[in-house]
Amino acid sequence: MRLVVVMPFAMLALAGCQREERSLRLDPPVEAGLDEVRVMSNGIGGAPPKVYVALGRPYENNAFDLDQGKRLYDWFGCTGCHAHGGGNTGPAFLDGWWQYGADPVSIFVSIRDGRTAGMPAFGRYLTTEQIWQLTGYVQTIGAYSAKTAAPSRNDEMQSRPSENRAPATLGALQPPSR
Amino acid sequence: MRPRLKALLGAACALPGASCVGWQSTLSPQGPHAESLLRLIFAFAIVCALVWILVVAMLAGALMRRRRISREPLASRPREERRLGMLVGAATAATVVVITGLTVLSFVATRGLEASHDDALKLRMRGYQWWWEVTYLDPRPDRIFLTANEIHVPIGRPVEIELSAADVIHSFWVPSLAGKKDLIPGRDNAITFTATRPGVYRGQCAEFCGLQHAHMAFLVIAEPPEAFDGWRRAQLTDASAQTTSEEERGRGVFTQKACAACHTVRGTSASGSLGPDLTHVASRRYIAAGLLESTRGSFAAWIADPETLKPGSNMPNVPLTSDDLRDVSAFMASLK
Amino acid sequence: MGELHRHPQVIRFAAKLRGLTLVGVLAASSALAQSDPGAQLSASTSFSALDEIGAGNVQRLTGGPVFATGRFGGQAGAPSAAGDLVYIETGFPNAIFALELAQASPSVAWSYAPEPDGRARGLSCCGRTEFGPVLSGAKLYANTLDGRTVALDRRSGNKFWETKLADLSNGETLASPPVVADGKVLVGNAGDEFGARGWIAALDAESGRILWRQFSTGPDAEIGIGPSFSPFDPRDRGTDRGVATWPPSAWQHGGGSVSGRIIYDPELRLVFHGTGRAAPWDAQERPGANRWTSGLFARDPETGQARWFVAFGARDPYARGGVAQDVLLDAPWKGSARKLLLHPDGNGFLYVVDRVSGEMLAADPFTHTDASPEPAGPGAVAGPVPSPDENVVVRDICPAWSGATGAGSPAFSPRTGLLYLPVSRLCMDFEPRHASYLAGTPFIGANIKVKPPKDGTSGALVAWDVQARKAAWSMNEPFPLAGGVLATAGDLVLYGTLDGMIKARDARDGKLLWSFAATDGIIAQPATFNSSNGHQYLAVMTGLGGGFGIAERNMLDPLDQSAGLGLAAALSRLPTLRERSATLYLFRLP
Repeated sequence: MRLVVVMPFAMLALAGCQREERSLRLDPPVEAGLDEVRVMSNGIGGAPPKVYVALGRPYENNAFDLDQGKRLYDWFGCTGCHAHGGGNTGPAFLDGWWQYGADPVSIFVSIRDGRTAGMPAFGRYLTTEQIWQLTGYVQTIGAYSAKTAAPSRNDEMQSRPSENRAPATLGALQPPSR
Repeated sequence: MRPRLKALLGAACALPGASCVGWQSTLSPQGPHAESLLRLIFAFAIVCALVWILVVAMLAGALMRRRRISREPLASRPREERRLGMLVGAATAATVVVITGLTVLSFVATRGLEASHDDALKLRMRGYQWWWEVTYLDPRPDRIFLTANEIHVPIGRPVEIELSAADVIHSFWVPSLAGKKDLIPGRDNAITFTATRPGVYRGQCAEFCGLQHAHMAFLVIAEPPEAFDGWRRAQLTDASAQTTSEEERGRGVFTQKACAACHTVRGTSASGSLGPDLTHVASRRYIAAGLLESTRGSFAAWIADPETLKPGSNMPNVPLTSDDLRDVSAFMASLK
Repeated sequence: MGELHRHPQVIRFAAKLRGLTLVGVLAASSALAQSDPGAQLSASTSFSALDEIGAGNVQRLTGGPVFATGRFGGQAGAPSAAGDLVYIETGFPNAIFALELAQASPSVAWSYAPEPDGRARGLSCCGRTEFGPVLSGAKLYANTLDGRTVALDRRSGNKFWETKLADLSNGETLASPPVVADGKVLVGNAGDEFGARGWIAALDAESGRILWRQFSTGPDAEIGIGPSFSPFDPRDRGTDRGVATWPPSAWQHGGGSVSGRIIYDPELRLVFHGTGRAAPWDAQERPGANRWTSGLFARDPETGQARWFVAFGARDPYARGGVAQDVLLDAPWKGSARKLLLHPDGNGFLYVVDRVSGEMLAADPFTHTDASPEPAGPGAVAGPVPSPDENVVVRDICPAWSGATGAGSPAFSPRTGLLYLPVSRLCMDFEPRHASYLAGTPFIGANIKVKPPKDGTSGALVAWDVQARKAAWSMNEPFPLAGGVLATAGDLVLYGTLDGMIKARDARDGKLLWSFAATDGIIAQPATFNSSNGHQYLAVMTGLGGGFGIAERNMLDPLDQSAGLGLAAALSRLPTLRERSATLYLFRLP
């Protein structure tokens, strides 16, 4: 009889041992598959790679990947043009008013191939996995929907609300003021 | 049974002895700082051992001594109580003396470690997950250069290292030369040591810093001043010219692919500074912070699949054709 | 982005002017006078000898918007007038318009669309981006953001030649107007923020051929340093200081762009130009004096050889650069007549330099600044204590990276002997961050919050008495003054503000005499010229953006205090203005 009482607690305690999975290494064919985005002819939106869907959209809700994305955002000078989401010579992310949409495929393509309005192409410098990590992170900055995972706290000077706030932004409801 | 016991005993005796030799041992000091630390360790060990023996002896005595059972348990025995009081008082006084003595000893020894020297060789080490960036400082900016995971120092000259960290807390520890000192993000720390004998000493991150903490080692190579100056001059030059067409092509691959985004090879267009400076990478004994010896094979293996060799490392698996990989490893191996 | 491609339009102004009537104003200007050298704006002092509009009658000025360029965003370039045409070059995409003011409403005589490379827009960063056509003889010269210099026929707009100078793949752009000197067109690059090496180049005015190009960092041979060079600081007299004052190979992406205005002194046959900030902004990564960034060169326009150099500080820890605009002045100094160059620097000091010898005569703070004079010698300024390490924030650094001045030109009036400085009083918190160089991507390495000083006034117009070496008067402004100042012989000081006011003050005491509310912010210097019937016009371009660190204000979100390198939050109190197109405003007396 006592077992009935103890078991649920034991199960609960054991459930705490379940850590989030970190994928430290992608098999090369998987990584190659992740590069196969199909983009609409106007360069906005499209279908994610089959592998990406089969893996369960891995880069959107995994804290480790978001954190890696945040690291890359700082390392590769993204802050130089987009600041911490507020924009500079590049547009802001925080206001949720995105020129090419918030679709991950658009973001992925913007980073990989660049955009004619001034965004450089980073496909040469980053691996496909890194671009997906960045995509996941960039989405959290101006997120339209709250995420279940968050990157680690800012180490640097705090200049804006943290990434995983919800509702994501009010700016998404109206165009930025001009 | 007997020979096995003997072997076991022998092994047990050899085990503590083994830590006295080799390139990473507190018990084999190679400089005054490590020696004074060793003296301190011995002083503490001896004093503590003596105290321990004394305490255990007293305890044993107290247990052995049988006490008469008094017929009048409530009667006062002033003589005996005064004696016991004096005993406790003496023990307390002895404790204070011993602790004060050890404190003074420790203070004097560590103060000696912190002494600054005008003629010291000044370096800066910055801890990254999971490697060490080393900057050789100089009043003349054009004599400042970067290397990684390997420090050369001249013997007999104090070395002052500024310690900082880029991401999490690391700890600098070269047991044969100095004590431990933490590298803390946003804080400046420093450590000084002198190597008296030429040799190669291993250092290791001594503060758990993540997945590859165990693979965050570095070498200190102590050499005569002339050899050190020669090494320093060589490090200041741009990367050596490529001699074979394979190396030439490798340089092309390196500067055109993702490699150049994170690594610098002075003398080429590669100017990234997110990973170690590779201008003279082949002159270093190990790559990936003590993981592999720097041979062309190791370069190829590391570039082909860093995430298998050092899971979690920030070096990504960059897709390369086998030709590219061959050329790039030749280029790496040429960077003496 | 629709605004970018909106067609330019002539505004039917009568309906748009709040109660003001312009009918007749332009009708009176049957034709603008042929440019009269004496009446033209002097490029080196921003002083106009025209005095029809003066302190006594400025209140009666009438006018308003007359021409919308159809381009949304920053317009730092002032209009220039010659003959019966007024020329305007917009910010990106750098369209050039020649307007005829002969009829009742102005008409476009010709226009030129250079169709620049869109990638350049992402490279337009963090400093003054000013475009404006330069007139010389029958030609009009202009630069485009994507790195081209074009020569057009002033009458027809036909292209004579076009030369590609800047390499976008390295982050280089052109962000300032060219200068014509002695049959040559001088052009300087921009792109410090991308690690581009600064240079100044000379083109043959007739053919557009590149005659020489001299860099701001690197070995002496590439800088134009030869036997005729004598720097002010004796420490700079060694060889290859452009290499020796940098860590190995860091000079190859060390910045120092020539993105300010270049000034030509035809009498001395010397060209003066500032050099921009060193790259990256994180000073930890560039130990040393970082020559020849953040200083001022005098060069021979014939060969580009450097004559002298002064540095504005032992080094530049907070990336303020040295491209603020200079004023050339012949005036007595301590009893003897000298040829002076006044350089109000971003670090808050006004430098007085003998422009013949390059000797620094004085350095005085004209606004609140953390920099302090170096005890070693005159003029050399030591900055505030730099951040001890990457990722350690230093707070309350004044002035901010955008500089105490420099976004707009100062003006000097010989009638009052005062130098009118447009001042920004913004301060900043600065956190150096590691920057890794990747060609064509930002190379900054700084997290910055910008904020007003403790007393809350972000800007000021300072009238500086050059002889007395102190401010004669100072007028606070709610926002930084980011546009240039114009002084006239009518004892007026004219300037526009970020919140869209055009103001005229009395040059003698700073009293506000007249103001006009435009429908967009102003970062351009006002211009004035005479029409053919002898009447004086005041022309102002509106259009907020570009020139003050903010490429396109609508792209920024001040919720992030580091947006626009901190300026978006610092200027978030700017009113939202209605006009979405850079617009020409014209005023005259009725």
